[in-house]
Amino acid sequence: MKQALLMGEKALATGETPVGCVLVYDQKIVARGMNDTNKSMNGTRHAEFLAIEEVLRSYPRSILHSTDLYVTVEPCVMCASALRQYQIRSVYFGCGNERFGGTGSILSLHSDHTIDPPYPVYGGLFREEAIMLLRRFYIQENDKGEQEKQCLLISHRLTSAAPKPRPKKNRQLNTKVEYE
Amino acid sequence: MDVQDILRGIQPIPGDVTAVRTVQETRPPEEFADAYAAEVNLKCASKVIKALDKAYPRDATQPLNHLRRFAKHEHLSPTLQQTLKKADPSSTQTIFVLIPPPLPDTESLKALLTPFAPPNPSSPSSPADITLTTLRVPLYAPLNSAQADKWTKSLWPVLYNPAAPRGFVAPPPQILSRARDSIQPKAGRYLALAREVAREAEQSGFGRGVGAVVVDPEIDARLVDEGEDDDDDSERWSDAVVAVAGDARYSRLERATGPNPTRLTYNADLEGGPELHALMRVVDLIAGKRRADDPDNTPASASASSAPLRPLEAHFLSQLDTTFSSNPTNSTQSETETDPSTPTNPEKFQKTESGAIPMPSTSNPNPPENENNNNNNPRIRSRAQGGYLCTDLDVYLTHEPCLCCSMGLLLSRFRAVVFPRGGRMSTGGLASEAAAFHPVADSGDGDGLEGGDDETEEKEDQDDKRLYYGLHWRKELNWRALGFEFVEADGAVAAATGGDGDGDGDGVQFHA
Repeated sequence: MKQALLMGEKALATGETPVGCVLVYDQKIVARGMNDTNKSMNGTRHAEFLAIEEVLRSYPRSILHSTDLYVTVEPCVMCASALRQYQIRSVYFGCGNERFGGTGSILSLHSDHTIDPPYPVYGGLFREEAIMLLRRFYIQENDKGEQEKQCLLISHRLTSAAPKPRPKKNRQLNTKVEYE
Repeated sequence: MDVQDILRGIQPIPGDVTAVRTVQETRPPEEFADAYAAEVNLKCASKVIKALDKAYPRDATQPLNHLRRFAKHEHLSPTLQQTLKKADPSSTQTIFVLIPPPLPDTESLKALLTPFAPPNPSSPSSPADITLTTLRVPLYAPLNSAQADKWTKSLWPVLYNPAAPRGFVAPPPQILSRARDSIQPKAGRYLALAREVAREAEQSGFGRGVGAVVVDPEIDARLVDEGEDDDDDSERWSDAVVAVAGDARYSRLERATGPNPTRLTYNADLEGGPELHALMRVVDLIAGKRRADDPDNTPASASASSAPLRPLEAHFLSQLDTTFSSNPTNSTQSETETDPSTPTNPEKFQKTESGAIPMPSTSNPNPPENENNNNNNPRIRSRAQGGYLCTDLDVYLTHEPCLCCSMGLLLSRFRAVVFPRGGRMSTGGLASEAAAFHPVADSGDGDGLEGGDDETEEKEDQDDKRLYYGLHWRKELNWRALGFEFVEADGAVAAATGGDGDGDGDGVQFHA
């Protein structure tokens, strides 16, 4: 999970929504991913997709049956379905995603009836660190305009700390994290 | 066959475009609560309202404007007529008032209403007692007139207001119907093209017979204005197509020539992955074009998933390098009307009609290379020209997209998605109810409710117990798109499902 957070830091440094992930197979990290939607101009380039592509460059698809995903934020609806189709073994995530979450927050695509087997999901690992990573992103000025930010993964609880747009230079980083 | 010949030979699939209802419409929240009704003197009605509103101010967060405040006995449902008895059955001078939840204390309520009680039949000088009767009322406004009728017949009289704001429930009706009207004339052609793309994908062995066609509705509207859209002998009808892509899920496997036998079964390990589905590939092609002018445009990691392009895909991609010439009048207009400082509004389809939006491309303060050629607009604007993801584009698919692709198209900000009803998938993410349950003729209002829950469940059972997500327009998600199904005319169904004319891929469940 710490390695996933490091990938999130890397995304933050390159102006992407700070979501990072790693895939672990046989106790080794076999792939890393970070969000790449802004640079690629492709809204589907989420961290999970990049990591899976990296695995598939060196391994057959079937190793995903015995691979675990560690991701800083709950996978979105798109990624939750993709992970199901890839038949991932299990998913561990940091904080929930009440805007797009596909493994419990909005939909439960890890367990709903479909043609692929369900996978177990464990949330709340390094939750505070994951939340702080996102907050540090949303507090910064975005010279690409509000619209780009709105498209990105937003956890409702994180944004509820600052519900109205205001000049960001006055923003203070809120370091308190509520407990569920 | 040459691509131009294919395009000229495409015959539109006959059929009608109908909106996919939202899950908020097909599974409306039905919550009920207790209310009181009391008989009062008809002449005092306005005083009763004033007194009630003063004593029990209305809660603005829980508007109950759909509940009639008064009802005459003869306008009540037969069951309610049994419950609410008039003190004097012969009197026509009384009316029943509704006291909606939250319910006040009965003693103070009776005291409040006593001055307005109906005349006492036995002793006209003293008013009758106030009788409070408890009944059930719906807490949410009805979503259509059928629901309003149902509640009026079984509960208390309910009003349906079609103009009530319901953006979270469903797209605004006027926006939906404008989009539908603009999509209807050419949907059959675009879907026929998608089917050709699908056939190419399957025949090449790279994927299943699934295809995607992306259309810029703005260019489409101008083609219609210029009368270029209905010439059967030219391929100009396809000028509004900005990109096409077929499925390529087998592109990582060893391939023989011809259709891949893997398509006859579902083996997850051989399915490639959703990034190789038609929708995801077409999104990636458009993203590549948006990045074209980036100063540091290295072949992004995104292209790692791209399979080699097939002829139709390559044709439309190369068409992007030619510019779309509009007639000079239009282009001059767009220069004067466009404010370059206006950012692309990702939700503008909710506010403006697509045809009314001028092309902003020529208004860019620093057009990269076409300074001498103002009549030409790039068909896909680059990032530097204000292009952004797939905003304001429509996508036509041969199949209902899987959940992953359904969300991918929302994250890509498509304006609308169109798929044939014959291409519904048990793994799909867009349908919101069983197809047989909802008749083709969709007035956007009414029907669908009378069937009741039992019938719905029965149909769902027949449909492989599939779940209906209606992902295109869900109140929980930040992004929404207009969803349309193309209902093929009789006989066109079989031909439209996936382009495998031999039919041997039929019946296999997979993710499209």
